[in-house]
Amino acid sequence: MEIKGSVALVTGGGNGIGEAVVKHLAKAGAKVAVVDMVQKNIDRVVKDIKAMGGEAVGIQANVTSEADTARYIKGTIEAFGQLNIAVSCAGIIRDGTMLSLDKETGKVSKKLGLDKWQAVIDTNLTGTFLTMRDAAEAMVNGGWQGLLVPISSVNKVGQVGQINYSSAKVADALMPKIIVGEFLMRGIRNIRCVAIAPGYTATPMLTGMNQDALKAILEDVHLGRLVAPEEIASLISYCVENEALNATTIEITGGLCYPKGIAK
Amino acid sequence: MPSLLYNDMQFSVEPSGDRWDITYRLPSGASALAAAGLFPGLSEADAAVRALALVKTIFPVGIKSVGPDVTHPNRIGDLKIVGPDVTHPNFIYWDKDSVSSPKTL
Repeated sequence: MEIKGSVALVTGGGNGIGEAVVKHLAKAGAKVAVVDMVQKNIDRVVKDIKAMGGEAVGIQANVTSEADTARYIKGTIEAFGQLNIAVSCAGIIRDGTMLSLDKETGKVSKKLGLDKWQAVIDTNLTGTFLTMRDAAEAMVNGGWQGLLVPISSVNKVGQVGQINYSSAKVADALMPKIIVGEFLMRGIRNIRCVAIAPGYTATPMLTGMNQDALKAILEDVHLGRLVAPEEIASLISYCVENEALNATTIEITGGLCYPKGIAK
Repeated sequence: MPSLLYNDMQFSVEPSGDRWDITYRLPSGASALAAAGLFPGLSEADAAVRALALVKTIFPVGIKSVGPDVTHPNRIGDLKIVGPDVTHPNFIYWDKDSVSSPKTL
């Protein structure tokens, strides 16, 4: 599928990986819908795309809401007449161990709150499901060529302190197999699905963290630096153009290893 | 350059080559871009009609309410347990904006 002339919708498009994806696709000639929770981020990104000579519409929305999801799919089609690429970048973290123990008694002093569990599952899993489902619905009914891109994470393997995040991201990584299998069963041939699982990426969330902790993380990355959001955007562009990529999850980590050099 | 008033928000549909941009006024008085490069080749009047439809979708009218999530109760037999939802405020859509509904004192 050609990027030029296609229409892309990116949730979480107001910053981080999502912002890089919308700008990369717009630069390559796609018309883009920037979906985000924060209106001022949307305004900034739409303005940047306009300055690049691109075409964009900004839609403030909450990906966990079924009504909002229907609204941003509708808004994208009202603006550009079709939908071809849906990238689900919106995501949050609420890290914490499932149990915390009192150092003196060894008894449980605190449990991971349901609010932390539910918020991450709702945004990172339910939000991705809703976007993929409603984008696919539009693509099927419109008869348009399409690519669905759930954003997973390398922490889908299971990261201590992220039982909520890892659980959501491993489910996101499974989506391409399930969705494309269903498409085959239903005779839907115009839509592909490829998930992307980034490693440690240079988003404000990571670059702003404790620098010693960041240095320790990078010791296990063969590349020796964080992955740039633009490198993830470039991979997504490649997935759009290469139609043989389908029903799979691609990791982009810079070579993340266990300590002592075994690749994860 | 058509100007639209919707839900007490001021929007302008401005030409950009053979396309149209939609701008809106922020509370600070500055202007922001809602969309850029839309509706290629459309006349000003047609672009204004399309822009208003798009603006109504992008900026829904309604209220956010933080409280019990009545739309997703947990069921135990016939009992519906409605938990508080403080992380995802409900957005209750209205089908009328402040322009289409006459103001009354």
